[in-house]
Amino acid sequence: MNRFVISCSHANTYRLGRRHALWLSTVLLCCSLTAAAQEITQPGDTSAPFSTRATHLLGFAGAKNNSTGTLSVQDDSLQFQQNGKPGTKVKIALVQDVFLGAESKQVGGLPMTLGKTAAPFGGGRVVSLFAHQKYDTLTLEYLDADKGIHGAIFRLTKGQGELVKNELIAHGLTINSRQDQSTKERATEATHENK
Amino acid sequence: MKTSKCYLSMACGIALVAIMLALPGRLHGQTSAAKSSGGDGTSATRYSVQVDQVDAGNLDLSYSFQIAIYENLVDELNKTRQFQQVFRDGDVKASEVPNLLVLKTTVEKYTQGSETRRAVTTVSGATKLTVRSQLLTREGKVVLERSVNGDVRFFGSNLRATHNLAHNIAKTIEQSSLSGSQEPTATISGQL
Repeated sequence: MNRFVISCSHANTYRLGRRHALWLSTVLLCCSLTAAAQEITQPGDTSAPFSTRATHLLGFAGAKNNSTGTLSVQDDSLQFQQNGKPGTKVKIALVQDVFLGAESKQVGGLPMTLGKTAAPFGGGRVVSLFAHQKYDTLTLEYLDADKGIHGAIFRLTKGQGELVKNELIAHGLTINSRQDQSTKERATEATHENK
Repeated sequence: MKTSKCYLSMACGIALVAIMLALPGRLHGQTSAAKSSGGDGTSATRYSVQVDQVDAGNLDLSYSFQIAIYENLVDELNKTRQFQQVFRDGDVKASEVPNLLVLKTTVEKYTQGSETRRAVTTVSGATKLTVRSQLLTREGKVVLERSVNGDVRFFGSNLRATHNLAHNIAKTIEQSSLSGSQEPTATISGQL
């Protein structure tokens, strides 16, 4: 009888441990999936090309405005690839300047805006107060085949702009003298958005 | 009493039908008049335009805004079909084209806004831009000079102001005859 009781408690402990292990493996699996979804390659890894998620706002050769995709630095070119579409490239040698900026934007897009408008007693305004996110903006100036100047603007997750710029410099981009103003510009924009 | 009311309602109905019939004709007349006055626009198609980069002057305008104005200007001028070709700054092909005009844009005023402040307060946080647009010949003669505004007051990101500004500049150029017969300086504004 005693032996039976002991074996039962052992079985419970075992079952509990198995449940914990299952939870842990689920959490780990979720973490690994999230990390893979981010698709961010650190610049220190020299074997894989650098890439990060970005929103193309305007101007990049052939890419659709306000489209989300992957911005990558491969060999001698900067590439933007929209989800499920062929990428567009610009040679790094043709890039004249890179400027960094900061931007704060309301999240949720049009559905969220409509929802906030419909919310009673000015509730939408309170939501707006907290529903904003900070981004980096990466502005490029590059030349086409006829030496005409083009400009392109990308919106990146905060902190990624600097990484892309560093990666471009590592791939041979020469920075113009105007560049040193970008730090000041970022500070000014960030201060203004925080007001 | 009843019959007079009946007559009155009938008269109202007839008047309404008459107005409805007359209005499209009048609108049509306006359109055709506008088309005929736009005859000068056909002479403008002989021109090509080169869009120069935006000059921020002494203002603390971010590069993203300067680039956005420039890119939006190229887009909007292409959309108007007013010009034979629209060239970018530095384009080597522009030098071979006869009747080239150069569009210079200088920022005169800039008010930095905030999308969050717009969303929270509605009345404040507008991003405003005022620029002086000049169309010049190769020799440097000013063909057209206008002060144009563009802003974003309610919905949209701050960069939306650059799109509105470029749209207003293109509209101003489209409306002008490019002969300089209008007033040398005018102001046009638009908002969202």
